[in-house]
Amino acid sequence: MADKNEFETIAIPYLDSVFREAVALCQDRKKAEDLAQATFLKAFERFESFEKGSNCKAWLLTILRNKWVDQLRHKNVVGEVLAIEEEMIAEPQRNGETGWSDCQDLLESFSDEQVIHALKELPYEQRLSLFLIDVEQLSQKDVAEIMDVAVGTVKSRTSRARAILKKTLLSYAKDMGFIRGER
Amino acid sequence: MSHLTDEQLEEVIRGGPLKAGLEHLEHCAECKGRLAEKEALAGRLRSAFATIKPGEGLTERIRQQLNVGPRPLEHAHTIGFFNIRSHRREWSAIAAAAAVLIIGIPLIFYLGKPSSAAAAQAALVKIHENNLSVKHEFYSENDPEKLAEYFKGKLGFSPSMPRPGRGLALRGCCVAHFRGEIVGSYVVDTPEGVMSIVVVTDQPESLGMGGKFERGDWIFWKSYFAKCEMVTVRLGDYSYCAVGEISHKYLTELLVRLLPESQP
Ligand SMILES: [Zn+2]
Repeated sequence: MADKNEFETIAIPYLDSVFREAVALCQDRKKAEDLAQATFLKAFERFESFEKGSNCKAWLLTILRNKWVDQLRHKNVVGEVLAIEEEMIAEPQRNGETGWSDCQDLLESFSDEQVIHALKELPYEQRLSLFLIDVEQLSQKDVAEIMDVAVGTVKSRTSRARAILKKTLLSYAKDMGFIRGER
Repeated sequence: MSHLTDEQLEEVIRGGPLKAGLEHLEHCAECKGRLAEKEALAGRLRSAFATIKPGEGLTERIRQQLNVGPRPLEHAHTIGFFNIRSHRREWSAIAAAAAVLIIGIPLIFYLGKPSSAAAAQAALVKIHENNLSVKHEFYSENDPEKLAEYFKGKLGFSPSMPRPGRGLALRGCCVAHFRGEIVGSYVVDTPEGVMSIVVVTDQPESLGMGGKFERGDWIFWKSYFAKCEMVTVRLGDYSYCAVGEISHKYLTELLVRLLPESQP
């Protein structure tokens, strides 16, 4: 049996990061808390296999990501959800890229909730790559391990995710009258 | 001189080894601008999440569970017949939080929308929230035939409903007032969360649904209000509005299941 006190000392300090990742993946807060809780229980079960001194945050975020994918698989919808996402999110067009000259100001005019909402419109793989890189500031190598893909895949997903996020926020800005029409 | 690619700029943001890129940036205003924009987006995303914290009780709940070992956590989201009694406290809390959101957020979020459209969307969200609240009259039933009978008695027709299975389960239904009319709505448990389908006679445009898109031969309208996404499709004489804290992609997928195989 793993040492509970040692686990608490090493793992619990990352609760905020674990919860944030859960928020990025789940549709509501209640589910995010359940997922974070399930992640810590699973981590405790496996704590003996955790290599002391290695990156505990990345280890926990990997468990959370796997747990989330398992939940979708268990409900037999993962292929379906991901297929819908891939199908319905259009590829951003590089040549249609718009420069927002007052970018910083515009970004500040969104609420935190709107920014998170926009992130959640991305397909989950892009969403998670961008979240782990920008918010949790993990290395591309760590993100590749968490998502079980090559580093090159993380690079392309992050870059594509950022372009779509920008496009989504621009459409919000138009809807809300922060900017006018086509730019 | 070719400009830096998006992926090279990502490398620069990460402080990666890209000496040639840094030299290019010194002389190229365009790439410098693109880099600044990407950095600003990254920074804004980080600051948006900085306010996200778990509820105060979560650490304690985790600690307690480490003492007693695992128990099933997923029961709250089991697909199937919904036992409202055992979730009374959870749903009260959610309903209370939803009430705060309905009052607080729309004002800030939707200043740009015409007020009648905003009011229609607020009313749709309210119907959805009421469906989840124990305080409101709700016909709890997961048999589509019984729900159809209920609607027939109350509304004079029975709306299209998705077939249960593959993670979908009907939870029940109710009738509500919407723009002075009696309308029907029913609740579906899905793997992505709980959603209501509200069936109204109003045209999607008059509900302020902005984003129009096509899927197959059908046209859908999407919008969002407070924390809820909405997708609407016109079927026969009615607009079916799917409402929930669920991505519009998934709401669309659910609505597609209501549609007949034939063309609109
Ligand atoms: Zn350049």
